[in-house]
Amino acid sequence: MALIETKDLWKTYEMGAETVHALRGASIAIEKGEYVAIMGPSGSGKSTLMNLIGCLDTPSQGNYTLNDKDVSNMTDDELANIRNREIGFVFQTFNLLPRATALHNVELPLIYNGSSTDERKEKAVKALTRVDLADRVTHKPSELSGGQRQRVAIARALVNDPSLILADEPTGNLDSKTSVEIMRLSDELHKQGNTIIVVTHERDIALHAKRVITILDGQIATDEQVTQEMRNAIH
Amino acid sequence: MIFGALFKIAIDALWVNKLRSSLTLLGVMIGVTSVMTIISALEGMAQSVEDDLSTLGPATFFVQKIGMAMSHEEFMKKLKRKPIEAETVELISEGCDLVDKISPRAYNQATVKYRDNSLRRVTIKAGFANLIDIIELDVANGRFHSYEDDIYRKSVVFIGHTIKEEFFSNIDPLGKTLKVGAKSYTVIGVAKEIGSTFGDADNFVEIPLAAYTKQFGTPRRGLSLVIKANSVAELPDAMDQVRMVLRAQRHVPFNEEDDFDILTADSILEMLNSITKFIRLGLIGISSISVVVGGIVVMNIMMVAVSERTREIGIRKALGAKQKHILIQFLFESLLVTFGGGLIGVLAGFIIAKALLVSSMGMEINPSVLAISIGLGISTGIGLIFGIYPAMKAAKLDPIKALSYE
Repeated sequence: MALIETKDLWKTYEMGAETVHALRGASIAIEKGEYVAIMGPSGSGKSTLMNLIGCLDTPSQGNYTLNDKDVSNMTDDELANIRNREIGFVFQTFNLLPRATALHNVELPLIYNGSSTDERKEKAVKALTRVDLADRVTHKPSELSGGQRQRVAIARALVNDPSLILADEPTGNLDSKTSVEIMRLSDELHKQGNTIIVVTHERDIALHAKRVITILDGQIATDEQVTQEMRNAIH
Repeated sequence: MIFGALFKIAIDALWVNKLRSSLTLLGVMIGVTSVMTIISALEGMAQSVEDDLSTLGPATFFVQKIGMAMSHEEFMKKLKRKPIEAETVELISEGCDLVDKISPRAYNQATVKYRDNSLRRVTIKAGFANLIDIIELDVANGRFHSYEDDIYRKSVVFIGHTIKEEFFSNIDPLGKTLKVGAKSYTVIGVAKEIGSTFGDADNFVEIPLAAYTKQFGTPRRGLSLVIKANSVAELPDAMDQVRMVLRAQRHVPFNEEDDFDILTADSILEMLNSITKFIRLGLIGISSISVVVGGIVVMNIMMVAVSERTREIGIRKALGAKQKHILIQFLFESLLVTFGGGLIGVLAGFIIAKALLVSSMGMEINPSVLAISIGLGISTGIGLIFGIYPAMKAAKLDPIKALSYE
């Protein structure tokens, strides 16, 4: 069975008297070890889909199975548990705690699954070493560059060995040179066997993935494997 | 493990906002201080009253025409009672084998003079020579009056500490002549300082009852009796014996109440407590208002903290924090502040109460477990009650909305 399997996902919001269908029956399947980009213009429903895949929200209708678990009707606390164990988030705005050191930021997911102090420290240092920041453990976000901050966030996503790394516009706040650097790290993590989903509206970022899914008006518009020709067409 | 980590997060958050945390702590502290001051002072006063009454001695009791009256009507009714007469003393000492000693008591007020100095409204107390064995009265110097002084109606006086200080601060009072009212008395002894909560218990002179009646006549309202039972264990039975003798002598029908009052240190204390109960509750109630204000300060600050840290809460929830984790983290923050404030408040309240009592009444108080637990209990309760709403608000935040909060 696929790592991620959504069947006919709907998400509906009530905005006053108006009913907005952010998703209208999205069905996708992503296997373990895949490297997928989800693209779409703003308002297309890609953020809604990302929130659902990331277990930050539940669908109004339809089913979502993550790692053989049906998460569509879970309670808030059950979802928190799934997020903690199965998903590593990387956000556009990094979402690091500004007053905490890199080490403490990376430790955060481990606090909530009850790891011991020593275990937390050991795993966090290891994760920071993986993103090449072993010498920055005691630095606070304000003392790090944008690229370094995003790498701390990636270390935090990796620290719990999740089934899935979910990156939402990971290069949106970075210059092009740093973006390339972060995407190289992302490629590297994929090679090591991680399942990665990148949500982006930039085609050159999306093409780092092996498969691109586009969303339009709350539905899956295209779902294709990335070819060398597609990459060449960009450059 | 999680609790330890959450506790540390709470401490870090408080540390980052040092000024705000200390102001909140101050708010709680002021509230707890005011309550603690009141409680400690009340406790100290209660203790002191108890100490005063214990000078009666544990096996000693009083018989009076009017012991205590809780209302004007009761007082007027009791006023019509027959006075207690001198013969009663004889009847009791012969008829009650559980009574060790008995002395009649008469009280008055008069001006006391020594040469050109005078003291007005000094309490004149009279009794038998055996009084010294019935009530707790310690002799500092000289002696109390004796059986012979009683018989020969000698004009001798045993003076309280205040009288000695006023008239004889640097000289030996023994053998000096004092004027009590219009009559001259020779000083034979001085009492040790008693100290007291209300009034001045050292401002008295003791004279033999015989000398008293010669000068002031038989008291119009009759005598009081002060009686010592054989032992503390036999006190209740001794009181019953005395009651029987008095009822018989005064011809009280079996179906009517006593027409006299029997008082012990315990019954006096009980009475005082019931009289002052509402005053005490009122004082505690008024001072509790400041604790509630402190609680509102805590709640206000915690609401600000939650809204300021919405994004942090979103991050934590996205990374797997459950509702209870966020709840506990914020509750720890409010509890730390209020417990800290409570701790300082308890200490400050005690110090203030001590200073107040020592300076105004010369009373000593000791820290009590009850007062400390009340203070810490109140402050912890405030942290819980006023911290729970903001913490629940934080715990229930939607992670998506919290993450996109600017």
